[in-house]
Amino acid sequence: MTLSKLVLRSMRKNLKHYYLYFFALIFSVTLCFSFTTLRYNPTVQEALKESGTASAGFGAGGYILYFIVTFFVLYANHLFMKRRSKEFGLFQLIGMTKGLVVRLIALENIILFVLAISLGMIIGFFSSRLFAMILIKMLEVDMIVHLSFSQEAFKQSVIIFSILLVVILLQMTWLIRSVSLLSLFTAAKTTDERVKRFSIFHMVMGLLGLLLIVYGYYQSTLLFDAGKSDLFNNLFLHMLIILGTTILGTYFVFRYSVALIMNMLRGSKKGHLNITDVLAVTPIMHRMKGNSKSLTLITVLTGLSVGITSLSYISYYSSETNARQSSPYDYILLNNQGIEFLDRLTLENIEYEKETYDIASVMLDIKDLVDDNLKNSPLFSEETTTPVIPLSQFQQVEPSIQLKEGEAFVTSYVNILFEILPLKKEQNIVVSLGGKDVSLFIKDIREDYLLSSRAMYGGPILVVPDKLFEEINTANEQHEIYSQIGINLVHEEDMPKAEEIYSSLAEERQVVLNNKNYTQSSYEQLRENNIAIFGLTIFITAFLGLAFLLTTGSILYFKQMAEAEEEKASYMILRKIGFSSSQIMKGIYAKQAFNFGVPLIIGLLHSYFAVKSGWWLFGTELVAPLVITMCLYVMMYVIFMILSIGYYKRVIRESL
Amino acid sequence: MAVLVGRKIRKTYGKKTNSQEVLKGIDIEVNKGEFVGIMGPSGSGKTTLLNVLCSIDHPTEGIIEINGQNLRSMKEKALANFRREQLGFIFQDYNLLDTLTVKENILLPFSISKLPKAVAESRLKEIVELLGIKDILNKYPNEVSGGQKQRTSAARALISNPSLVFADEPTGALDSKSATALLTNLENINKEKSVTIMMVTHDSVAASFCSRVLFLKDGVIYTELYRGDKTRQQFFQQILNTQSVLGGDGYDA
Repeated sequence: MTLSKLVLRSMRKNLKHYYLYFFALIFSVTLCFSFTTLRYNPTVQEALKESGTASAGFGAGGYILYFIVTFFVLYANHLFMKRRSKEFGLFQLIGMTKGLVVRLIALENIILFVLAISLGMIIGFFSSRLFAMILIKMLEVDMIVHLSFSQEAFKQSVIIFSILLVVILLQMTWLIRSVSLLSLFTAAKTTDERVKRFSIFHMVMGLLGLLLIVYGYYQSTLLFDAGKSDLFNNLFLHMLIILGTTILGTYFVFRYSVALIMNMLRGSKKGHLNITDVLAVTPIMHRMKGNSKSLTLITVLTGLSVGITSLSYISYYSSETNARQSSPYDYILLNNQGIEFLDRLTLENIEYEKETYDIASVMLDIKDLVDDNLKNSPLFSEETTTPVIPLSQFQQVEPSIQLKEGEAFVTSYVNILFEILPLKKEQNIVVSLGGKDVSLFIKDIREDYLLSSRAMYGGPILVVPDKLFEEINTANEQHEIYSQIGINLVHEEDMPKAEEIYSSLAEERQVVLNNKNYTQSSYEQLRENNIAIFGLTIFITAFLGLAFLLTTGSILYFKQMAEAEEEKASYMILRKIGFSSSQIMKGIYAKQAFNFGVPLIIGLLHSYFAVKSGWWLFGTELVAPLVITMCLYVMMYVIFMILSIGYYKRVIRESL
Repeated sequence: MAVLVGRKIRKTYGKKTNSQEVLKGIDIEVNKGEFVGIMGPSGSGKTTLLNVLCSIDHPTEGIIEINGQNLRSMKEKALANFRREQLGFIFQDYNLLDTLTVKENILLPFSISKLPKAVAESRLKEIVELLGIKDILNKYPNEVSGGQKQRTSAARALISNPSLVFADEPTGALDSKSATALLTNLENINKEKSVTIMMVTHDSVAASFCSRVLFLKDGVIYTELYRGDKTRQQFFQQILNTQSVLGGDGYDA
């Protein structure tokens, strides 16, 4: 029999083992190829022309993707090799040299890679169109995506996977050359575990792991605490500490805490275990040593990708609210500039509603409203110019609000300021009224959007009774922006026409702000800008998130397949002495819930605290984007879990 | 009273064109309190017969009844329950779970039954004293000797008070001292608690502990020997003689 014949035969015989590795390969090629194809797709490039950061984003995303894929393929290959070690041992036993065995496996792998790359590229070519359509949809651009085969993408994928093939071949050569014949036969057995007792050391380390995670979480809530004077100097250091403690903590939890908790649980039963203990608790406990590293990695990757995806989703999700904050009305006219906009709207028969604001300003010392421990914050500037509007005009949006004399409230206090410097209501503050100090009782801190936020320097607005407003207006220096007209369209379909008029009056609308010319953008313009920026970001992060997810899910699934095979003997014993397969499956469900559930839950917790600490830097809405992202992750994990349970079912059925 | 009755048991492996008949119509009856040995050369169908009788494998033809219950009429789940509650198993390679301690392994059959802990505990106490493994209860299988493992396995088989215990080459992996200890234990349990035991072995010494030995050859029962009042030594001689007629342990002479 020639070598090539032997290779083909052994490949055919091993198909059952190969298919897993083969799919891992195809899947990796598909991801890489469709991503690069997308990058060089003319339609996509056209749509992203305006965004300068687009190609940089694609570039960075591509590198991360290659990294994920490399890691994944190496891992899959490692698992696969371990399963076949006996076969390699046998080849050597019948007199093949190590060199010949290496050549044999190299040949197999080259065939596999060529097949996988061709198949993966075909699938990737078609799936790239789907991805392109999703991207175009996200960017809200009307375009038809044309399929085009990119030579550049082809070249890049071939290069990447050729390098990967070489690495794998080296890995295998090293593996086969470095191990003895005997250990090849037992490689599948010497894997993890082997029962050991649990000591005080384990207990201490287990507790330490839990403490480290809790400490990391606690630190993350303090990350942007303005009360600390060294906030911005040590921000990076703090982040590193949080990252370090949570990752180390996660490892300790998997390495020690899990076994510790389970050991206590088991100890309390005094030998009278139930079927779940027998099939889930004890095997997990004894495998934790070998599995802790990969579970830590999976957990951290899950946390990372959920976190990043959530943050970019928060940005995307907030594009509307963001735009609403910058321009609370569809159109805004400042200082009555470009007032002809209203006439033009009437001329075009466009119905609208308008609200007018008069704006005065006071010097306000916000210090009186913050907590004592925040008073030394470096973020804290002295008195700031704060816009003031009369209550009657505020009632245009919120008629129910009333103020007594000497009372006032603060509004438009949102987002970043709100998170870093929370204000307390029901405090007295002092404002100066033409050199004379007036004390005001701050009744409430609100979040309404009323005025163009740029024109108000992004700060809060003070609302006072009309009488006081008049006094302020006459006594104090005029605010740079002394009036605002807010216009909302009655019929949304008038939007395109109104937009046209609004931008044609750009010059007329110009005002002076901070000694510079400033032109207010319409709500729609702001929203479109945001979408263009964040649409691409979320697309790339979601793509990478998907890659992470499928990778971690597959690794968990592969590991469970291997475990199922290894534990087949136990299932055989149990079935012989009288456990039915459905009774055994009950234990397996618990085991799968643990194996998939715990990394997922800890990963989600990590991402929750990571996102929670700084989400307001990215957008205005936390709950919905975070929950949606997490639900998607949970769903995908459930699918992998079901696959894994199906595999166990088959193994158990075959075990008697 | 017959605990186990087998009638015209046949077992064929493989497909029609390439089939091999391993059991060729075996009739067997085991009474309560008996210690039955099954001997025969390799390939004679000993283990197949045992597997078929204990419901791990299905016969191609024939009827098997244990305690009057026909195994063929039972579904997988009912069979599993039946095995757990009525039968005990001891295997050559111990078949203990590595991840459980000795005590947990012995109590394994109770892990899905609702037996009160106190009852289980008292049965455990009795059985481990009988088998002399009280001191190793909290050890893991990889920390104890082969003989201790096999006694653990025996304890697990006996803990649910089975009406019938099947042992497949229980001494196959043991040194002679451990083997003798185990067999003495089994013999005592058989006599004192009148537990019915059926043991497959190719070791004549092991077989001499039985009260009756069946000889299997090429899928049929060749002959059977009763120990009666003979001493173990005399019975052993008799077994050896029969074996030499049969053609030794491995190949035809």
